[in-house]
Amino acid sequence: MFRNDAGLLQGTVELLVLKSLSLGPMHGYGIATWIERVTEDVLRVEEGSLYPALYRMTRKGWIKGAWGTSENNRRAKYYRLTAAGRRQFAEQSSGWQRLSAAVNQAVAAAGRT
Amino acid sequence: MDGSSGGRDQRVGGSDPEREVDEELAFHVEQRIRDYQARGMSLEEARVAALERLGELSGVRAECAELLAGEQRRERWGESLRFSWLDFKLGFRMLARYPGLTVVGGLAMAFGVWIGACTFEVSRQWIRPDLSLDDADRIVGIQFTNAATREVIRGTLRDFISWREDLRSVKHLSAFRTTQSNLITPESAGEPVEVAEITASAFRAARVPPHLGRFLLESDEAAGAPAVIVLGYDVWQTRFAGDAGIVGRTVGLGGSTATVVGIMPAEFAFPVYHEVWTPLPMDLPAGGGAGPRLQVFGRLADGVSVEEAQSELRVLGQRAARDFPGTHEHLRPRVVAYARSILPMSPDEIVALGWINVAVVMLVALVCGNVALLMFARAATRESEIVVRNALGASRGRIIAQLFAEALVLGAVGTVVGLAAAGHGLRFAVLMFGENLGDLPYWVNANLSPATFVYAGAITLLGAAIAGVLPALRVTRGVGTRLRQAGAGGGGLRFSGLWTVVIVAQVAVTVTFPVVALLIWRALEPIQSFDVGFEESEYLTADLALGEESAAGVPVDQSPAARFARFRGTLEELERRLSAEPAVAGVTFADRLPRMFHREYRIDVVEDAPVPGDSLLDLSVKGAAVDLDYLELLGAPILAGRAFHAGDLDAGQRVVIVNQSFVGEVLRGRNAIGRRVRFTNVQYQGALAPEPGPWYEIVGVVRDLGMYHEGGRAGLYHPLAAGSDRVHMVVRMNGDPAAFAPRLRTVASAVDPTLRLHDVRPLSELAAGLMRAIITIVRSALLVSALALFLSLAAIYSAMSFAVSRRTREIGIRLALGASARRLLFAVFRRPLSQVGLGIVAGGFLAVAVIRIGAGSFSARELGLVTAYAALMMAVCMLACIVPTLRALRIEPTQALKEET
Repeated sequence: MFRNDAGLLQGTVELLVLKSLSLGPMHGYGIATWIERVTEDVLRVEEGSLYPALYRMTRKGWIKGAWGTSENNRRAKYYRLTAAGRRQFAEQSSGWQRLSAAVNQAVAAAGRT
Repeated sequence: MDGSSGGRDQRVGGSDPEREVDEELAFHVEQRIRDYQARGMSLEEARVAALERLGELSGVRAECAELLAGEQRRERWGESLRFSWLDFKLGFRMLARYPGLTVVGGLAMAFGVWIGACTFEVSRQWIRPDLSLDDADRIVGIQFTNAATREVIRGTLRDFISWREDLRSVKHLSAFRTTQSNLITPESAGEPVEVAEITASAFRAARVPPHLGRFLLESDEAAGAPAVIVLGYDVWQTRFAGDAGIVGRTVGLGGSTATVVGIMPAEFAFPVYHEVWTPLPMDLPAGGGAGPRLQVFGRLADGVSVEEAQSELRVLGQRAARDFPGTHEHLRPRVVAYARSILPMSPDEIVALGWINVAVVMLVALVCGNVALLMFARAATRESEIVVRNALGASRGRIIAQLFAEALVLGAVGTVVGLAAAGHGLRFAVLMFGENLGDLPYWVNANLSPATFVYAGAITLLGAAIAGVLPALRVTRGVGTRLRQAGAGGGGLRFSGLWTVVIVAQVAVTVTFPVVALLIWRALEPIQSFDVGFEESEYLTADLALGEESAAGVPVDQSPAARFARFRGTLEELERRLSAEPAVAGVTFADRLPRMFHREYRIDVVEDAPVPGDSLLDLSVKGAAVDLDYLELLGAPILAGRAFHAGDLDAGQRVVIVNQSFVGEVLRGRNAIGRRVRFTNVQYQGALAPEPGPWYEIVGVVRDLGMYHEGGRAGLYHPLAAGSDRVHMVVRMNGDPAAFAPRLRTVASAVDPTLRLHDVRPLSELAAGLMRAIITIVRSALLVSALALFLSLAAIYSAMSFAVSRRTREIGIRLALGASARRLLFAVFRRPLSQVGLGIVAGGFLAVAVIRIGAGSFSARELGLVTAYAALMMAVCMLACIVPTLRALRIEPTQALKEET
């Protein structure tokens, strides 16, 4: 449904990346497929927005990348959450919950009038 | 999926960002193809689908590469600024491995911290003292500024009463004045104490509860209330042996008595340096007088700012100016910080203090620059280690951080020593100021404040930055390219002009400071060392002053004539009673004593002088007024003419006795008796020169007796007439003078309890306090020059060693090619020689400037001494070059060539 970047709210990619990395270190492809899988393909993060987001988040100190070896024995860059990233995740996820609840409420209210 | 734990982490930093992004994206595409294949696509279909999904990537690639490059840069910086425990451990190891550098560098840093901390602490105590009172910032002083003269004036009792009634923005408005009285107990004779006559409100303003009993209350101020007194802790301990039953006892204070109602806690000397507190009499003089001048202070009311208090006070000031135009027309009341109302300080003085601190920081920077020189020489000897570490991956920043850490460890050791020394230095300074300037406010003390510790920390960081980072920057410059040159004999590192400045400045200090010390010493030392002309150890002296009330505790006629007459009577009675003591051989009085600063007169005319007028204008002599039997008691018989007699005290009698030096210096050896002289008090010189003074007849000549001043010892004595309420007493003892001091106090307080005895001590110790101060100043100057010399030598030595080791190959080859040793010596010596030479010349100029400002000129002998000293300095500095030079000359050409390969 949201096949386009424009469909994703500002900051949503970051929240999704934080969530995925909260489960453990992953490479970029792993993050993308995880998001697709858990949203049952509703959300698809394009590479064109995923990788700049990863680099920006590295710069902000939320995540850290390190080269390692993938399951099929290839060189891959793995990202993991830093302490600051974990704090950021907690903050953003609660913010998101509040926002989505508010939007839901508004949408539901609009439906009654 | 999670392969990172099993996989081997590799360094991210340092690689090409674009390549790294490409590799990451390639992995992504590859994985996608794999996935598509797994879902049943052929390889070709999967590849097309994956690339289609990826879309146009060049923009993304560039964006990611740029972000990564920025991140890598940041990481490199972060890494270089991170210190590890290892850096500090290495720093400590370096202390042990290079003991020479540790001692010299540590001493230099300690000196820097010592002088910095002392200056800062003294400035802080002046500018923003710690009053040790609750919420002390809210305590303010109130005083007048005369708008016409800019003069600061204290308010009168009448002003205080008016402010207390009307001023709302300052609460607990209080006032005090300081008097001195003898505190008399049944057990001991009276000894003077500093009394604060103070309002009861002051204790509430101070918010300090009493240690025992109570402090003063408003009811104590009422007319006819019983006289009460609050004692300070020290007085209670020393004078009453800490008697717990003291409250309720009656003690004598001057000529009256008062009941002790309380003891204040230890360290409490509020408002300034007071030892006991009595109620301030609040009665305005009959007939509309304004009453005595008082120090007024209080606490700002809750929520009131200084500005608000000031504007309320301004209105009251305008009202007073209308009501009392005669006295208050130009007076503007001002709210000032409490400490500032006690120790006034102009903005100019605060700025000056600031500049002194800046100068001290520059001095510290100079000293640290020297340490930097030594650290540089050491770092240079570790050049190969540094090059290898860099090759193994340590960034330049990392190496700089390590050298900074080493300097910081050295600096920390120096700081501990410096702060300990600062504590001692301040204790001594406080003692010295106290001895020479009188009582200091209680908040001036020898404690180092937390702010000063922070400041010392900042100085340490600055020092470590100069001594560690500066050499590190130089030694690591182009370190990456140096690996290729390593083994080529070095030569890339050289001392720069900065080191030249450091060495020149230090040598200049080494030359200047001893000259200054010599100057001070020469001017002041004779006060102690010159022969006073009699046996000092037989005499006890005391400074006598009369209180403002009579022995019965009732105020008496305070007109000058009545006071002087009463004082004279008291002295005569004291002399009579003391003479009856078996230990006393005689008593006399004078307004100046030997070894004290005397009055100075300029001789205008000597009657019948061989060259009258101008030639005498520069002649100044010392003067003192002495009791009739003073000269006789000091064992100085009249050499010619006669002694003073009672008739000399009659009005209109103008006679003087001169000393032998007077006869030599002023009269050029001619007969003195009967000759008349005219002189002016030096203080009136210049525009205020009065009419020519009266003629004085010389009636006697006595030998030189304890008068000294620069350029001569000529002096004259007047007979001491009753014209003062302060005088020095000299008691000639049959035994130990010091042992008689307590008895002297007992006798004196029996004569008149209001008679105050200050500074009871043997005559030989009169100049002791001053001498201690002088000796400290001279020693400090010499210590600074010794340290500067020491640092210069260490710097020259290490610079020379360094230069020689750098030029081993060159020297070896030149020797092999037959260069003469002299030429080589010159080549090696030229640089330090010119540095030291320049330093000595600069120091010489500085010294001359100091002499000009200070005391005129040096004698030929002293000039020779200074020149010889400069030459010695040169020689000593050259000694520091000898070891490295000999090492250079011993270089075997074969050895030098071996170094090349």
